[in-house]
Amino acid sequence: MTLSFPSDLRVAPRAHIRRDTSTQRPHISWADAIARGLARLASVADEPEARARMETWLENLRGALLASPYYVRRLQEAGLHPGDLQRLEDLSAFPTLERETLARHWDAVPTLPAEHDECVVVKSSGSTGAPVRVVRDRLDCLHMWAVLRFLVARAGAVLPPRPRVVLLDALPGGLEYSVRLPIFHDGALHRVSALRDDARERLCRVRPAVLFSDPEGLRWLAEQGDVPTPRLILTSAQHLPAGLRATLARKVPAPVLNYYATTETGPLAWECLREDAPGRFHVFAPDVWLEPGLHEVVVTRLRPSVLPLLRYLPGDAGTVRRDACACGFHGWTLADFGGRGACHFLTPTGRSVDAWALAWVFKHHALRAFRLSQVERSRFTLELAGAAEADVGPLCERLTAALRNLGWLDPQLRVSHVEPATLATGTKPQPFRASPRSG
Amino acid sequence: MLFDIPTLRQQLAAAPIVSPYPHELAVAIICDTFRLANVRPPSRQDWLALEQYAHHPLWKEQVVMLAHLLAGSALRDDSAKALKKGTEATAVLRHFFEDIAPLTAEMVRSNAFRQEEFLRKWVRALGGLVLNESAKESAKRLDQLDYRKAQQELKRAEEARKQEAERREQLLREAQQREADARGWRE
Repeated sequence: MTLSFPSDLRVAPRAHIRRDTSTQRPHISWADAIARGLARLASVADEPEARARMETWLENLRGALLASPYYVRRLQEAGLHPGDLQRLEDLSAFPTLERETLARHWDAVPTLPAEHDECVVVKSSGSTGAPVRVVRDRLDCLHMWAVLRFLVARAGAVLPPRPRVVLLDALPGGLEYSVRLPIFHDGALHRVSALRDDARERLCRVRPAVLFSDPEGLRWLAEQGDVPTPRLILTSAQHLPAGLRATLARKVPAPVLNYYATTETGPLAWECLREDAPGRFHVFAPDVWLEPGLHEVVVTRLRPSVLPLLRYLPGDAGTVRRDACACGFHGWTLADFGGRGACHFLTPTGRSVDAWALAWVFKHHALRAFRLSQVERSRFTLELAGAAEADVGPLCERLTAALRNLGWLDPQLRVSHVEPATLATGTKPQPFRASPRSG
Repeated sequence: MLFDIPTLRQQLAAAPIVSPYPHELAVAIICDTFRLANVRPPSRQDWLALEQYAHHPLWKEQVVMLAHLLAGSALRDDSAKALKKGTEATAVLRHFFEDIAPLTAEMVRSNAFRQEEFLRKWVRALGGLVLNESAKESAKRLDQLDYRKAQQELKRAEEARKQEAERREQLLREAQQREADARGWRE
């Protein structure tokens, strides 16, 4: 086994901080239009009208498909052409794009970017599969801020002038920075690492109006005493455990908005804020179209982008239906979302534990892929792909300690080394698995 | 005669093609359609002439697909009703096969858009109309579906993209060269 790894093996991608934030200013009206567009469509009760509005975006998509070398070839092979795509229903006759295919053809799927597109290549996190290189234009990079404007309004949060946004980060590496954020009401963005000793002090100093984090960061936040309460907390959770949500609500009583996004597609849906509607994700239409009636997530990006995505399969399970929610939302809602391999392990006492509570352990180690399976109540198998021998000992030690913390007094861990391909069953590897015998 | 395209497509979806007809049988089915309308079908020599005129490797499979669509749906009866007495069968077929030249049997069998294009072009060759559509709407829809035109468009787009990529590469090379030259002067 090799001890040196290519740079793309890191689970946490390296960040490049863009300091010329004043260049966001010309895009403020665009961000505002995106937020208004989302709000407008979320209030259209009539489905044919909503569809007709979304279909006006198809013209742009047809042009992008024509400019994409991958799609030109792929459509020709299938006897199709962009002109066939006139209505949303037509999509079902088009080929899907799997995550692995995008990873292989990452440089052929995008259209030829113009210089003013200011494209960058980012890598998706490798925690649920091999990283995918994703080409993004400037508006792709800024899109989340446009969506945040909409979400703030949706949550009824009232922001102070020049709001400060904190990205509370529990990833190893401890990266921190502060930049201006003109595109979000002339605010500022502070990345705070929960791993640093002065994280709590820094958080208190910044007093964020909006806080982004993952479940591990939120877990840390819930453990702190006397921290400022943001107006809105957002998490793009793989899986946000109900227990954590309840603890957080007691300690930091801010609305928690859970949204579903992938690096490849950007934000796709947000979880309804109603307490009696967990697991119902409202789709960010018209920016994206998630095909209804299927058992997996199939995404077509309608918003213009350098990377046209037609029937992209992020590898997540779920069913989309037209919905008139009691929260006031009209549109399409993703339910039965089994994305990111929601998995529960049972402790020896029979308590159910969210397996994703262990995800942070793996972010401390360079791996290509992994799978942790509970085979019996106290027995686990850990399959590793691309792990350095020297890394395995500390990883097992950390994992065993984490399992003890969660209620396994004497967890037994059997480690095996496998090829990455063996873990890539289906569209996306499932890093946590509970075998039927474990229950 | 009005052709109900969605109903025809539903009928065809319910009668999947298990194995293709032999060419002779396909020719017989097409000839029967003309006979049903009391129109003289193409003779054996006419068929040979049609094949020579088409001069196309896909022609035979297109004949077979037309026969399948006629036999597998109400298209045969509807076509017979649409054909006027005195219609020149060979001219209708020549016009039709010319119109659908790039479509393969597999496309028509498995691709909803190409099947619709095939059906609509047959309707146009017969001088028929599509149910619930004005002639203008039908022409617009056929224009959207036109695979031949789309192929040309795809080819043009690909060539334009390649040219642009080459132009940028050339610009980059020139910029690198300029930079190297300038560095040389300073050194």
